[in-house]
Amino acid sequence: MRVLLPVLWPIAAGAALLAYTGICNSKKKASPGTAGHGRITALDLIYIAALALETVLVIAAAAGGGSVRLLSLTDTLTLGLRVDSAGSLFAVLTSVMWLLTGIHSVAYMKHEEWAERFYGFYLIVVGVLVGIDYAADLVTLYVFYEMMTLTSLPLVLHELTKEAVQAGLKYLFYSVGGAFLALFGIFYLANVCGDLSFTAGGRFTAEMAAGAPLLLTAVFCMIVGFGTKAGMFPLHGWLPIAHPVAPAPASAVLSGVITKAGVMALVRIVYFLVGPDVLRGTWVQSAWMVLALMTVFMGSMLAYRENVFKKRLAYSTVSQASYVLFGLSLMNPVGFTGALTHVVFHSAIKTCLFLFAGAVIVVTGWKKVDQLRGLGRVMPLALACYTMASLALIGIPPFSGFVSKWYLATGSLASGTGALGFAGPVVLLISALLTAGYLLPIMIQGYFPGQDFDGKEIGERGLTKKEPSLLMLVPIVVLAAATLLLGCFPGPLVAFVEKIAAAVM
Amino acid sequence: MSPTLMLNLEEEVSMVLFGVGFTMLLLHRNLIKKIMGMNIMDTAIYLFLAAKGYIEGRGVPILTDGVQDASAYINPVPSGLVLTGIVVSVSTTALMLALTIRLYERYHSLDLDQILISMKMEEEEQL
Amino acid sequence: MSFVQNFPFFSIIIAMFSGIVSSVLSGKKARAVSIAAITVTTVLSAFVLAFCLRTGQSYTYMMGHFPAPWGNEIRAGVLEGLTALLFGVVMFLSVVGGLRYTEEDVEPSKQNLFYIMIDLMLSSLLALIYTNDLFTAYVFVEINTIAGCGLIMMSQTGRSLTAAIRYMVMSSLGSGLFLIGLSLLYDVSGQLLMSPAKEAVARIVVDGSYQIPLLVIVAVVSVGLAIKSGLFPFHYWIPDTYGYATPTASAVLSGLVSKGYIFLLIKFFYRVIGTENAAHSHIINALFFFGVAGMMFGSLRAIMQTDTRKMIAYSSVAQIGYIYMGIGLGTQAGMIAAIFHIFSHGATKALLFISSVGLYKVSGDRTDFLALRGSAYRNRLAGAGFLVGALSMVGFPMLAGFISKLLFATSAFASPHKMLITLIALAVSTVLNAIYFLRLMIGLYRPTKSGSFVEPAPAERTGGGEEADRKGRGAKQAEKGAGPGSGSAAAAANPWTMRIAIVCFIILNLILGLFSQPIVSAITDGLAMFG
Repeated sequence: MRVLLPVLWPIAAGAALLAYTGICNSKKKASPGTAGHGRITALDLIYIAALALETVLVIAAAAGGGSVRLLSLTDTLTLGLRVDSAGSLFAVLTSVMWLLTGIHSVAYMKHEEWAERFYGFYLIVVGVLVGIDYAADLVTLYVFYEMMTLTSLPLVLHELTKEAVQAGLKYLFYSVGGAFLALFGIFYLANVCGDLSFTAGGRFTAEMAAGAPLLLTAVFCMIVGFGTKAGMFPLHGWLPIAHPVAPAPASAVLSGVITKAGVMALVRIVYFLVGPDVLRGTWVQSAWMVLALMTVFMGSMLAYRENVFKKRLAYSTVSQASYVLFGLSLMNPVGFTGALTHVVFHSAIKTCLFLFAGAVIVVTGWKKVDQLRGLGRVMPLALACYTMASLALIGIPPFSGFVSKWYLATGSLASGTGALGFAGPVVLLISALLTAGYLLPIMIQGYFPGQDFDGKEIGERGLTKKEPSLLMLVPIVVLAAATLLLGCFPGPLVAFVEKIAAAVM
Repeated sequence: MSPTLMLNLEEEVSMVLFGVGFTMLLLHRNLIKKIMGMNIMDTAIYLFLAAKGYIEGRGVPILTDGVQDASAYINPVPSGLVLTGIVVSVSTTALMLALTIRLYERYHSLDLDQILISMKMEEEEQL
Repeated sequence: MSFVQNFPFFSIIIAMFSGIVSSVLSGKKARAVSIAAITVTTVLSAFVLAFCLRTGQSYTYMMGHFPAPWGNEIRAGVLEGLTALLFGVVMFLSVVGGLRYTEEDVEPSKQNLFYIMIDLMLSSLLALIYTNDLFTAYVFVEINTIAGCGLIMMSQTGRSLTAAIRYMVMSSLGSGLFLIGLSLLYDVSGQLLMSPAKEAVARIVVDGSYQIPLLVIVAVVSVGLAIKSGLFPFHYWIPDTYGYATPTASAVLSGLVSKGYIFLLIKFFYRVIGTENAAHSHIINALFFFGVAGMMFGSLRAIMQTDTRKMIAYSSVAQIGYIYMGIGLGTQAGMIAAIFHIFSHGATKALLFISSVGLYKVSGDRTDFLALRGSAYRNRLAGAGFLVGALSMVGFPMLAGFISKLLFATSAFASPHKMLITLIALAVSTVLNAIYFLRLMIGLYRPTKSGSFVEPAPAERTGGGEEADRKGRGAKQAEKGAGPGSGSAAAAANPWTMRIAIVCFIILNLILGLFSQPIVSAITDGLAMFG
């Protein structure tokens, strides 16, 4: 029950919220979302409380451990949940990010319609995500993965404009296409090894792998398929389309957390089902490394040229999520440690950045990068948080990004993959420079808009000091502080991840 | 010429007839001719079955003069099948003819293409 | 002999007699008789299934007093019982779900005819399932055709009449081929009962004589039944037929009738030709090829449609292709997958047809994508039903379609020559399915511009038919979620019978998706009994 609760509770709560909204809608004509402008309603409080309870439940499950078997689809394929340390890491991260973004969303959704519908689906998605993290076998993971696509779709579609629907369709088709590519692999693995439950270190021995000629192809299909959610080339196209149209809290979790669900799926397949020993040194590893490195570089490059702020952040996610995938593709403990620590750091950083973008939109309505000049005079504190997060993303010590990138680079050099192993740090370095190139100018222009800026433009745009409301600001500050603290004291996290790495390799 | 060709005349004729009927049913645009084709096709099969059941020099399988010996009669099963088949084909034909009358009353044509064209026109008028 | 063993015969005869009795009854009474008959036969089928599962073997049941080579026989086993049960359930739900629309679409004086056709359809389907005699099968194939034609033409529009005549033409071609096939079989084997015919065929194969006639027989019967079930190159009657009949008729025709023929074909392969011989003949490969082609073609055409009914109909073409692909694999696993897909597609497609009507009714009886936009908000239950159906079609886990796909994929791995084609076909058609179904789903759940819904005018809600359609076109009610208006529209479109049907269909889909293992093992046992 303790394992089941963090999955069931938010889904039930979200469904109840949606049903309640439906009843309200049919009773009165006006949408209740537009009624209390700016005020915090009881519904908002319930929503926050539900999210907080979810965090508590996840932590309790992570602390308590255990497993539950739900039902059997066929003789060999079962559905079940099991708590292990890798799953706990992702689940706790997910629920914390969800809570912080949820607090922010209360303030943000005051400026949007249909807030209750957003809340409802937002709650459901976190349950589904925890389900992915705690899945005991590949089929359960796949079930939750498909559910995640469907339940997170309303978050992307939220505004229901033509662009939003088009973006939603694109999101859907990329996700479904990727999932079915992965499904092929699942069918194959189900056929080869029957039981698909996860064990640290994988279930395949060298003899079993030799007896399955299509194994590598199947794994590659799954890597590309699940890589879709993590925005890996060639199926990365949905990220920059879907993020800008979604409400900022939705893009924050899409970028910060949902991309990590794709990472989680790959961790499970490579390290808990097939086993890194089978894949190390095969063409799959090389192809995966190449794809990841290409995505790292391409994402940074595209972000550098992008003018729409949220789109720029989305491209940055494409690039950063592939840092994680690159770390996973190395298949050695150091790279694995780098990858999982980067999951945590990037999640915090990118959520912070998107929440900042959301705050900027709410307070000033600016969406393009070149509009952001002089932002430091409007919201100095928020911009300071942005600066901290940016520095962390670039990887400047003592901020957090530095730690994970250090592990990634050393892991790459130690991976024994020859030229690719050496190319890794080079690409990472170039990408870090590009990251600085696309993030820092916003800060510089914001604080130091230059001599010619004062005067006319201030009058036009009305640059008075106006920090975002406390509800928005607190999550941003907390996340920015977290990027610094995790960078200064990475010890416990790294030790935790290294323990997982030792178990799987 | 192969000797078996001469031995199985009925079967050959029935196969040719089946082909004729099948083609008519499939390709003819006129509904009445389609129905005729269907009947030719069915009749060809009955000919085939009847020919299968017939044994040279034996009588109708109706008990005559108290002769109980089976060797006096032809095989009765195919005859039974033919009778059943005729019933079936009569009802199918009746249904097809009824449908054809309906369509003719509505579209004043027996040509299936023509009917389809009129139907499309009628629908466009409604819009 | 246990009393239960009479049940297959009882269920056929009950269905047939209720049809005969209904001819002198009024529409309402005929309806009651029909629903009662379906219920009773379904319960009887459940008893047959339970009996066969308990005894673990099948039995033959002699009709009349003539023993095996001359008389007529019924045969019941686990697979027959299961199929009859599921067909009965789907039939029941389709009839119940479409009650209101049948009332609207069919002239009052012809109501009882509709239910006679339903009764005859049920009886012929049961006979096709249970019979052990090929000529009886032929007779019931024809009854099935006539009943199907009657169901199609019931709504009496120009479209449905032409659809009916096309259906008749194609079906007659199919039946003609089937009949000539079994005449030839009688010629070479001297048998019409399946079990003795199988022994005779086995002897012929061992002899090496009559090889070519045997091939011709398999080819002619396969093609005949393929035409009747609408396999790809012979599918052109499907879209109009399914698209313009009344909802119950569409659901029954698409969900059950074409499956009845496929079931007969499977029986023919197992019980007459023998799986070994069937697998060795090239006919199997042809079925496989056309099945795959049908999957692609049907999905592509479905994507091109802008009319929901036609889209669903073309999706049927694709799904029939799946089933033939499974048969064409020529393995036990492929056959199991095909049979499971018969069930899952029957349940899913009937759900789609029934729930989609609920959506048309709140959109002014229009069926194009544009008019349906946002209709899932106007009729939530129908929207939910359609969502479940569409997701099952796409192969969403926990629903019936996923298990079908899983079984197809697993069986593909067992036949190395066809593995790659099967997997690619599955993947491509799944993605295509996803494209057209999910595109429609988003449309259904998308409010029209500026949050306003197109509400049908009041006149349109009460009166069905074409005039109301014209009047109501373009009538807009700008208020979002127009409170009581949308509620009553949904209530008018969803009579309680339909609510029950949709909910039961959803549950049926979930059962097939979640607890497939007993069903799959029952199919396996049943096929073993076919042996």
